[in-house]
Amino acid sequence: MATVAKKRRGRGWLKEEFGSPDRRAAYYMVLPVFLIVLAVAFYPVVDSIWLSLHGGTATITGPFVGFENYATMFQNSNFQQGLVDTIIFTVASVTIEFVIGLGVALAINRSFKGRGLVRAAVLVPWAFPTAISAVMWRLMFQDQIGVISYVAHALGLISSPILSNTHLLLIACILVDAWKTTPFMALLLLAGLQTIPEDVYEAARVDGANAMQRFLRITLPLLKPTILVAVLFRTLDAYRVYDLFWVMTGQQLESLSTFVYESVRISQLQFPEGNAAAVFIFVTAFLLALFFIKVLGMQTSTEE
Amino acid sequence: MASATAREGVAAAPTGKRERRGNLGMILFYIFLVVFVLVSVFPLLWVFKMSIVTKSELFASPPTFWPQNPTGASWSRVFSNPDFLKALRNSVIISGITTVACLFFGSIAAYSIARLRFHFKSAVLTFILAIAFFPQVAIIAPLFKQFSEIGLINTYWAAIVADTVFALPLTVWLLVAFFRELPKDLEEAARVDGATTIQAFRKVIIPLAAPGVFTAAILTFIQAWGDYIFANTFLFDSSTQPVTVIIPNFAGVHTIDYGAQSAAAVIVTVPLVVLVLIFQRRIVSGLTAGAVKG
Amino acid sequence: MGEAHEGAGRKVNRRDFLKLGGAGVAGAALLGAAGCGGGGGQGSKGPVDITVAFGRESTGTLAKLISKFNKQNKGKIKVTWRHMPSDTGQYFDQIKTEFQAQKTNIDLIGGDVIWPAQLAANGWIIDLSDRFSESDRSKFLPGPIQSMTYQGKIWGVPWFTDAGMLYYRKDLLAKSGFKNPPKTWDELKMMAKKVMKDQGIQNGFVFQGDKYEGGVCDAMEYIWTNGGNVLKNNNSNTVIIDQPGAISGLTTERSMVTDGVAPQAVATYEEPQCEPIFLGGKAVFCRNWPYMYGLIPQYKKTIKPEQVGLAPIPVSDGNHTHSCLGGWNFYISALSDSTKQDAAYEFVKFMTSPEQEKAFALNASILPTLKSLYSDKEVVSKVAPIRLNKTAIQSTRPRPVSPYYSDMSLDMQEQFNNSLKGTTSPKKAAKTLQGQLTQIIKQAKNA
Repeated sequence: MATVAKKRRGRGWLKEEFGSPDRRAAYYMVLPVFLIVLAVAFYPVVDSIWLSLHGGTATITGPFVGFENYATMFQNSNFQQGLVDTIIFTVASVTIEFVIGLGVALAINRSFKGRGLVRAAVLVPWAFPTAISAVMWRLMFQDQIGVISYVAHALGLISSPILSNTHLLLIACILVDAWKTTPFMALLLLAGLQTIPEDVYEAARVDGANAMQRFLRITLPLLKPTILVAVLFRTLDAYRVYDLFWVMTGQQLESLSTFVYESVRISQLQFPEGNAAAVFIFVTAFLLALFFIKVLGMQTSTEE
Repeated sequence: MASATAREGVAAAPTGKRERRGNLGMILFYIFLVVFVLVSVFPLLWVFKMSIVTKSELFASPPTFWPQNPTGASWSRVFSNPDFLKALRNSVIISGITTVACLFFGSIAAYSIARLRFHFKSAVLTFILAIAFFPQVAIIAPLFKQFSEIGLINTYWAAIVADTVFALPLTVWLLVAFFRELPKDLEEAARVDGATTIQAFRKVIIPLAAPGVFTAAILTFIQAWGDYIFANTFLFDSSTQPVTVIIPNFAGVHTIDYGAQSAAAVIVTVPLVVLVLIFQRRIVSGLTAGAVKG
Repeated sequence: MGEAHEGAGRKVNRRDFLKLGGAGVAGAALLGAAGCGGGGGQGSKGPVDITVAFGRESTGTLAKLISKFNKQNKGKIKVTWRHMPSDTGQYFDQIKTEFQAQKTNIDLIGGDVIWPAQLAANGWIIDLSDRFSESDRSKFLPGPIQSMTYQGKIWGVPWFTDAGMLYYRKDLLAKSGFKNPPKTWDELKMMAKKVMKDQGIQNGFVFQGDKYEGGVCDAMEYIWTNGGNVLKNNNSNTVIIDQPGAISGLTTERSMVTDGVAPQAVATYEEPQCEPIFLGGKAVFCRNWPYMYGLIPQYKKTIKPEQVGLAPIPVSDGNHTHSCLGGWNFYISALSDSTKQDAAYEFVKFMTSPEQEKAFALNASILPTLKSLYSDKEVVSKVAPIRLNKTAIQSTRPRPVSPYYSDMSLDMQEQFNNSLKGTTSPKKAAKTLQGQLTQIIKQAKNA
């Protein structure tokens, strides 16, 4: 940080910025995280951006081609399919997770019989590693022997095998993801609820506000920062979904990340396009984060 | 907790008079909870069932709902595999160090972002977030190259560093959100008493934010515990590989030992849940109690 | 014996170096390797440590053979087995990541038969044409040798092999009045329908139709046994998948589902799904690799060895049977220094000697690659697929040998699977593939 400060000493506001001990302390405190992330991720990200602007294959980098790889990527039907599936998956799964997660958080933020059990149950899906649960889910969705297939057939919900029908598979992915990450949402929101001071509610009750009013006027606004963080992270995480699509659907469904994986790690010739897709995910995720921060008013500190 | 109970009524449909609504609310509330719990644990129970049946029952068509001839064969295959026990240890080490590192660096940064004044705040925060959301599948090959240059490959550190970088954004953002919500007066009082920024942070903020810090810890730990893609690429042998890498390898070229994989899946999930539960009670109740008194 | 060979090996290796050096890419790879090799510090003191990569092997036979080798070569060579992911696709991805970064500890790859062209084109493995002489090669089955021949050179040594075959239920066929297994696909459908109807068997025929490498193997067999192919002469640059033979192959595959012989979900089946259906007594026919025969004892309740027969892959009228070639070969890393490469070749010679191949075949119930073992009494009597189905093993064909096979496979997996699911007609799938594969070959020429 010192070097940065030195380099720009000429400007007045910078002097002020780094002159005060409080502000310097702030920079020192942020610096480690900033450096760790930068040191590890900077090279791979820049490398991908560089490769996405060049031709060639996985092993030989070709000449500079500008945005040509991006153009071919957008025309690739697998990429288009991946984009559509990813958007549907992200919107649907995050919505379900948020609604149920909020309900669960409200429910377990109180004392009742069996609360310990419920809290333990909440953690089960989240603690179950996806690399393994995806295999198990696939088995349960299988025709003839899979328990979910069997029950769904018996109830008349489905008429064709789940694993070879892309529509059913997308629904299955959304539900499995909701199963897995609703606990994440619930835990985060619960922690948020616990930091809301009791006296705020007391005051509202004294003023005669009913439960719904208290929920809308107190809980939601006070919970908003936590909600935004939880939804933002779930959205970004769902947006780059990979193992669920790759393992559970047996590569029948394409997501943006499976497209990247196929192109970068399996294919030789599609390598530059794969890097373009990775950069595309990166840029769109960035825009998404910006949307949350600017438009939804996700404040980043108590000050600004 | 009285207010919490009242808040709860909201989850239920608002109907009729107060008392009836209370009863109906309670019933709906419990129905909701029971359904939720069942849905949450059913897959694990089913996987447990798969781990105690014979191979032919595992593939019975139609599936059996209650195990016909329970057997411990899959479980003994798992426990007789020395790699699996080593992998459990490796998973604990990797996830544990990752969690500590994330909380340490993350909470310091989060405090400064939430409480202190400086420019580029949003820029720094967004940058950290965006970089960590670069698709992992695209980053592993260059990361492999980079890590092998500095000799991290096939050491715990390769997985720990990668996991930390990808878990840090969540930790930081989460803690920022929690720290912001804390009343400032206590901290200001501490500073009036002559405490430095760091002291105020350590003595006042951390205990107050305990639920948030602890939640962040659980989420980070489990995220690292479930990592597959980094560990699978960076760690070569059973002395470093975590459970997520070992379990899929209960298989041959054309075969999959679903029974052993199921048993192993139960082993890596259940103790984790129990441990978190024990810790949760102790730590959260202890810390919050202290904070309320203060 | 080690001494003499080591000397020869070194001489050859220098020649290899020059040869590969001419290939440009390979030269660069080797230069990189020379830099890396220094770190090993092997010198002439102590044993040469080499690392061999291979997936899991559940019977423990490989581990035993390795320790036997290490004992025999005490003080000279020490082999360490690095367990790779048992999923072949992931194993290959990992190999590519490490070799591309020029950072790997692997000296010897126990790898799939579809890898050599891709590894060789990048200069990651060494040309074994000289070490592995023509007279040595003639001792092995021709299929595996063909699979590792790329640009006129030999890039590996066959270790064990695999061949697609038709499993059938002798007892069920007999009960419905059929003495012999089907020779043609039409017979298979007819028999399957009759047995399903007569005896209430759930599935007529199951095979690997999922969107993965195995799905390519099965589809290739349908195509070959209908007189079609993907590339002209199997390895030229002319794509012929839109010709009538290939289209009728895909049509035959799809007809298994439309005629009600195979379940609709066969388009999601891999080997682990076929196994419990057939061995669980719920199918009349199953296409699978030889390993499944060895699993019969695990399904004691539902099936006995005498109920299971093995036959070559059926054909459409007037065509020859062909089985997809699977199996594993040894490839030596071009990034290792020459001492290690020599040591690795010593280990390869050991593993592919009649004695060890026999031990591996008997204990791990896999198919050896040495011709002589196919007339070895003990092997023939104990490894049932050899006894029961020599024809299938002798009529194997490799998948297209190309440095861009991964790209070709991705497209084939998708189109074959679409055609089997019925979301694309066989004709349209073949047409699409014709375009895609032609494009890949064109790009490959330019690259």
